[in-house]
Amino acid sequence: MMDLSEPTMDYSNLRRQITFMKKSFFDQGYLDEQFNQLEELQDESSPNFVEEVVALFLKDSPRLLSNIEQTIGKYPQDFYRLDSLVHQLKGSGSSIGAVRMKNECSVFKAHCNDRNLEGCRRSLQKMKREHATLKQKLESYFQLLRQVGPREHAVNSRK
Amino acid sequence: MATMGGDRRQMMEDVAEDKFPEGLRILVVDDDRVCLMVLEALLRRCKYQPTTVMDAKTALRMLMAGKQQFDLVITDVRMPDMDGFKLLELIRLEMDLPVIMLSVDCDKKVVMKGIEHGASDFMVKPVRTHELKN
Repeated sequence: MMDLSEPTMDYSNLRRQITFMKKSFFDQGYLDEQFNQLEELQDESSPNFVEEVVALFLKDSPRLLSNIEQTIGKYPQDFYRLDSLVHQLKGSGSSIGAVRMKNECSVFKAHCNDRNLEGCRRSLQKMKREHATLKQKLESYFQLLRQVGPREHAVNSRK
Repeated sequence: MATMGGDRRQMMEDVAEDKFPEGLRILVVDDDRVCLMVLEALLRRCKYQPTTVMDAKTALRMLMAGKQQFDLVITDVRMPDMDGFKLLELIRLEMDLPVIMLSVDCDKKVVMKGIEHGASDFMVKPVRTHELKN
């Protein structure tokens, strides 16, 4: 129900901010079409679906990154295991539309294939940075969405 | 998709003609929780009935136990405890259930391997709704 005490100006400002923020994620290449697909899957039966999936990704991916780091540090190198871990990260990243992470995973996998340890190390550093940036952006985005409240989600706003 | 053998082509045609109704019971196997969550939501939106498991051994146990009936299995190609191809082989050996392979990459070698092992189809993550409906 409409909360009449809330000034509509603030509300539409918020909505504008949210739309703009989301557009910037797409324009700067952080997210791709898959993110829109997630929003399409959100409905009355799962009203917080996008936030929940993203939260799950942000919860699980640090552990994966840490496993990757540990595996890189091992001697002798286990490129097969490294590739498997990066493969998993690529899958989960692509499931939420995290296109930069997905692309860096592909680069990482190529280094594993070439048994290029230095390349793997560089990729890992890049991925950690990408991950931190993505996490910060998405958390800000959902924080804004929560302020708008459950009456409306950014489902209809497109790129 | 690449060319497939006789009975598999029939199966694909059946699917294309939408002979698979709503309520299709699908067992989804993937070691990643995020992928599972997204795929499950996608399948439910298509009005299918997904059941998710995170490893191949559990999937096999469920299929063998027969307590729950399934019409289709969708499995990730690469999982830590048993790879998707092995699972595919075992399922094809034991029961007449179509299996769709799921992977992050669309590597031709991987696709061919899937087909050789008896996969009914191959999909690349992230999966889109229209792919599932077909």
